[in-house]
Amino acid sequence: MTQPAAAPQYPGISALIHKHLSNVPFTATTTGTDADIHVAAEHLLALVEGMNQKPELAFDMLANVTGIDMGEDTLAVKYNLYSFTHNHRVQVTVTVAWADRVIPSLTGIYRAADWHEREAAEMVGVVFAGHPNPKNLLLDEDLRIHPLLKSHPLQTVEILQGIEEGVPGFKF
Amino acid sequence: MTVWPEERAQTIDSFNTVDMTINVGPQHPATHGVFRMVLTVDGEVVVDCEPYIGYLHRGLEKLTENHDYRQSMGWWDRTDYLAGMCCEGAYCMAVEKLAGLEVPERAEYIRVMMMELSRINSHFMFLGAFGADVGSFGTSFVYAWRERERIYDFFEEVSGDRMFPTYFRPGGLQADLPENYESRVRWLLGSIRQGIEDLDGLLTGNEIFVERCRGLAPMTTERAINLGITGPILRATGLPWDLRKAQPYSVYDRMKFEIPVGEQGDIFDRYFVRLSEMYQSTKIIEQCLDQMPKGLVLNPDLPKTLRIDNAECYIRTEGTKGEYGVYAMARGGVKPYRMKLRSPSFCNLSALREMVVGSYVADAIIILGSLDIVLGEVDK
Repeated sequence: MTQPAAAPQYPGISALIHKHLSNVPFTATTTGTDADIHVAAEHLLALVEGMNQKPELAFDMLANVTGIDMGEDTLAVKYNLYSFTHNHRVQVTVTVAWADRVIPSLTGIYRAADWHEREAAEMVGVVFAGHPNPKNLLLDEDLRIHPLLKSHPLQTVEILQGIEEGVPGFKF
Repeated sequence: MTVWPEERAQTIDSFNTVDMTINVGPQHPATHGVFRMVLTVDGEVVVDCEPYIGYLHRGLEKLTENHDYRQSMGWWDRTDYLAGMCCEGAYCMAVEKLAGLEVPERAEYIRVMMMELSRINSHFMFLGAFGADVGSFGTSFVYAWRERERIYDFFEEVSGDRMFPTYFRPGGLQADLPENYESRVRWLLGSIRQGIEDLDGLLTGNEIFVERCRGLAPMTTERAINLGITGPILRATGLPWDLRKAQPYSVYDRMKFEIPVGEQGDIFDRYFVRLSEMYQSTKIIEQCLDQMPKGLVLNPDLPKTLRIDNAECYIRTEGTKGEYGVYAMARGGVKPYRMKLRSPSFCNLSALREMVVGSYVADAIIILGSLDIVLGEVDK
């Protein structure tokens, strides 16, 4: 998303995060509701751990995890974090290429991440490294498709069932 | 000390006990829909619990991506189908945020009124079903249904449908209220209060019910937050946190109401927080009726087709079960690029294993009931 030239480098709450976690490189933009922090996958754990631990930030709740197919073989994962102590919120974005779609799991910091990550993994195909139970959640256990990829057509799930990776299923 | 002869006691000590696996659901009334859990039990004590969801997965997000903004309205009703208006409210707020649409003031008041009626409706369902879980069989159901049908009649009158009204629109409402609706809502509030009192007397006044629920599956605030629990279950742990007050949306900042909290987060507190919340909702509806201005209910500048350029937002609303969030992203065109539902039941249910392990099998059903899940919302 393009920003006007006058916009600050660290808008909103991201300035505070940059102040307390200046060793983690990130850039920041804004969405309609939150400051949006863009961080590389290898720095994600350091950033989120710091945001959780520092008493000035105290992001103690992981509200939401969204996996998105951004087109051109890129995936994005959006984390919405919230602090009960300070009543502030932020969004963290990690963008990865399809060929290298491994993102560290946040289950060690937030136990709420468990089901959210399982859902994002099956829906768009992100691999969460270190997830304790990486099984399908909403989809059937032996289904190896990612329905929320833009290349996946609407209404043909049953035809794809069981074809990929030689898993037993229907034959057409 | 033993009452059996020596050799008999030795035989019992040398018994080899094996853990047993019990499948509960997916089609069982105690699971409140099509939810399945596999319990591993040692005698009567649950040692492991593996929840399985997805039996009601309808691909809500994929469908929303493939239809335009107004066509998708009907599916979002069907997420939390006990409180359709709350879901519509969140969806419409997300679209309005993306498009930068204004909502007329009268429409905001009517929305808040409808969302609170939905909340009461959903909590009545909880009281009825939870009473049945604990053992009141059908009595609590009958009392709850009396009021629910009356509220549904009011929904039907404005929209033509009971459970899936599709009454909200991005930018306002489908139609204004019918004639004399406000005065009849005031009558309805009296009826609702009577219904809450009846259920209060039936359940809170019942010693067996209270003893069954008190002290069962307590939860601390820190643990609940880390597990992602929101809504009445979080408030039952003693934290007065409600998105309607913490980050107000619509016209909730003009309403005066209290946030009922519990003490130790046990099953009884969860039940009592919901019961008290219903009284607060009737207060909010009364204030809506008092403050409601005259005027339009739909933004007159609304284009025939909504086209939204690059935009992104995360809307949080206080649904009936907790934080009902909608993440939305638009990248031009008439359809959203991505819409993700953060459903409260989904997150609350993911903590089920934590609560159930170590309890008795009979209590596991009550603990599941106290989460007040709606499978339409869990499975999307």
